[in-house]
Amino acid sequence: MRKIQLRVNGETIAREVPDQRLLVDFLRYDLGLTGTKEGCSVGVCGACTVLLDGQPVSSCLALVAMAEGCEVTTIEGLAQGDRLHPLQQAFIEYGGFQCGICTPGQIMASKALLDANPHPTRDQIREWMMGNLCRCTGYYKIIESIQAAAEGKTGS
Amino acid sequence: MGILRSIGQAAGHVEGPAKVTGRARYSADVTLPGMLWGKTLRSPFPHARIVSIDVAAARALPGVHAVVTAADLPEVRIGRFLRDIPVLALEHVRFIGEKVAAVAAETPEAAEDAVRLIEVEYEELPAVFDPLEAMGAEAPRLHEHAERYEHPPVPPIGGDSKFHPFTNVCSQNLFRRGDLKLGFADAARTFEHSFFVPPVHQGYIEPHACAAAIASDGKIDIWISNKAPFIARRQLALAFGVEEDRVRVNSTSIGGDFGGKGSLMDCALCYFLARASGRPVKMVMNYTEELTAGNPRHSASITFRTGVTSDGRITAHQAKLIFNCGAYGAFIPLHFVHGGMHAASGPYRIPHMEIEALRVYTNTVPRGHYRAPGAPQTAFAIESHMDMIARELSIDPLEFRLRNVLIDGDESPMGERWQHIRCRETLMAAAEAAAWNSPKPPNVGHGIGMYERATGAFGTSGATLTVDADSTLTLVTGAADTGTGSFTVLGQMVAEELQAPLGEVVVLQGDTDTAEWEDGAGGSRLTHMAGQATLVAAREVKSALIALAARRLDCAPEQVAMRERRFIASDGRELDWESFLSWAAEHAALPLTRAGSYVAGHPVEVTCYSAQVAEVEVDRETGQVRLRKIVTAHDVGTIINPLTHQGQIEGGLIQGIGQAMTEHLQVRDGAVTTAHLGDYKLPTAMDIPELSTVLVESPTGPGPFAGKAIGEMSNVTPPAAIANAVCDAVGVRLMDLPVTAEKVYAGLRAMEKRR
Repeated sequence: MRKIQLRVNGETIAREVPDQRLLVDFLRYDLGLTGTKEGCSVGVCGACTVLLDGQPVSSCLALVAMAEGCEVTTIEGLAQGDRLHPLQQAFIEYGGFQCGICTPGQIMASKALLDANPHPTRDQIREWMMGNLCRCTGYYKIIESIQAAAEGKTGS
Repeated sequence: MGILRSIGQAAGHVEGPAKVTGRARYSADVTLPGMLWGKTLRSPFPHARIVSIDVAAARALPGVHAVVTAADLPEVRIGRFLRDIPVLALEHVRFIGEKVAAVAAETPEAAEDAVRLIEVEYEELPAVFDPLEAMGAEAPRLHEHAERYEHPPVPPIGGDSKFHPFTNVCSQNLFRRGDLKLGFADAARTFEHSFFVPPVHQGYIEPHACAAAIASDGKIDIWISNKAPFIARRQLALAFGVEEDRVRVNSTSIGGDFGGKGSLMDCALCYFLARASGRPVKMVMNYTEELTAGNPRHSASITFRTGVTSDGRITAHQAKLIFNCGAYGAFIPLHFVHGGMHAASGPYRIPHMEIEALRVYTNTVPRGHYRAPGAPQTAFAIESHMDMIARELSIDPLEFRLRNVLIDGDESPMGERWQHIRCRETLMAAAEAAAWNSPKPPNVGHGIGMYERATGAFGTSGATLTVDADSTLTLVTGAADTGTGSFTVLGQMVAEELQAPLGEVVVLQGDTDTAEWEDGAGGSRLTHMAGQATLVAAREVKSALIALAARRLDCAPEQVAMRERRFIASDGRELDWESFLSWAAEHAALPLTRAGSYVAGHPVEVTCYSAQVAEVEVDRETGQVRLRKIVTAHDVGTIINPLTHQGQIEGGLIQGIGQAMTEHLQVRDGAVTTAHLGDYKLPTAMDIPELSTVLVESPTGPGPFAGKAIGEMSNVTPPAAIANAVCDAVGVRLMDLPVTAEKVYAGLRAMEKRR
């Protein structure tokens, strides 16, 4: 067991956790933030993507100990009250999700992209998002959603 | 009907806000007070007798509340129709990954530790992995007493068999039309080709998960990633030996289905763990369990023999389809792979035909349903076969198809009398969009794939609609939205029928205690069947509203019409919606609820066609195939929601491309060796080609507002179209999937040697 302190979606959290506690399990089971999903458990599918100090990581491969002193942002931390983040709005308006299981990961990964590169090309989006698998959409509408968010084309 | 305002709107999913914020609750997200974690011990052998199981050490581990083996359970088998799957292995294990024992513990780690402490002694038995070998007289038998199962394997329907029906043959079907001998006598040439299609996995990102809780009054609450909650409840009640109303299947979001989430998977076991421990239990499969012990698509060995006239008209067609169903047959809701048989004739005019389809038990992972079950395998084979025949006859593959496709007025080879056949039109539209007749650069090729399937029309659907005083219309459905946008299109139908803005419609998934019976998603039925039930409920509500308005207007209901959300009496007096609502609320007439149900009646008379043209470029040095472009043309009815409709086309297409090019659930000596998503290659955003979608519209569908099915169309023929394009590009013909650089390279080198 070890003591850990970190910030999750702006809130300081101090907990005692087993040394081997994975970040995804910490978020989902210790904190009840089940918006972060676990798919493949081997860092391939990207469903568990969260931001660690702004950088996308597969939380299924990260120990919570690695997040000591860091800021973790999950899908629950994106909207401000009822006001959705432009990416969240775009994924709804442009059909960027169907079943929704990969969507938290897709949105967190694309947020990291737009934070680093606010106006990516279509090919840059494809390449960045390669690590986030989606079985429902065939990716076309995910790419459109990210483009729309980048271009400010959301907001009904 | 009024002005169409919601039908045809590209509305985003109604559950959008929940799904983009992480609020949507999937089965793995369910947390219950005192909940334990269930984990299973699985067989390391493909075929063995269980000599003994020692669970003492596991039981003694701190935090462990239950350890169960088959000896602790009633002797029940589960399944979607045939019931041949034991909840835990009974005496024998029949595939690597079969569940042998299970643990419920306070943490997942403790449960896993306990599983490792269970000791099982096995006596290995001879195993068989190949279905052709499994049908041989010398093959080890997997199921000694298959005839004792519920809905047991059936003797051949419609003909004789040289196989004993229970010697590893799980089902055998024969379809005959005309006289095959006559047909072949009419042929100038006869062609025979054999194909193999390996298993692939549905690849939903949500592994199967479930939770079970037993209340003190005996009520059993279930959360399960299952596309058809009412059917799941029926299967669960059978497994538990209780009445159906003792079981409540609660609503959860489904993280992708594609046909693979119609079974109970671990859910019956989860209940027995809850019963043994006295605590709620949750079970979540990991993805390795999914790939090695889920219910992937049937692999298939397919042989076609077809007779044609010298000008390329089909006179006779014989098909033998052998589907490997793995160790158990009960992951499908029928005895046989219906879609595989149906696709075996393609959309062609064939006077004389015979199709034999078998499902055969082997000591491999059990197979289940996956988006258009059986069809991609058979379509790959039939469309490759047709291309090969065309090339042998020196007829352009497009022209060959145009000579043989069904046209309006034809009877299909399966005996259907389809109306408004749009096969030729769809094919022409695809060919035109692909510039079929234009010159191509070297090593670039075009290939066609065609498919036909009808809108699903079976089972019963239900819906409940409530109007509240604040104008909200709440539709409760017993269906699960597996991601296709069903709730959204049902909401659009309500809005349309009651002339309401879509924003005032709320669609909720009811649990099985509160919702009307609903057969759920599957077979491209939901928009049609649940849509019809929704319309019944909406029309009932509308009649009731009109009757109320008539009271207010002091006239007979027949004298009141509802137009543009206003009630208009025949004498010209009007009542606007807001005034009506406040009056109705004052008179305690709201909320007003009506239920609707719809039972499948006569078979649908209109079917749906698709035609795809793939354009590939092949690197002659390496064999690498680059999919440059794909045209997907669809014969569609009224499109309820263009956004979700196109989403079905695109998602299916990329699944089909995955099956064509990267996906192969490799099984070696009974063991799945592509056991995680690093090895089992799902397509990524980098793998998608330039896409051209062509919609051939004719509002003649059997669904509400004349819609047609779309969910199981685009995924079927990419393998055929791509394989045919490779042959067009460099002359290499692949007889099995996937289309890999290695196979194309080998084909190119073999061609060079022959020169």
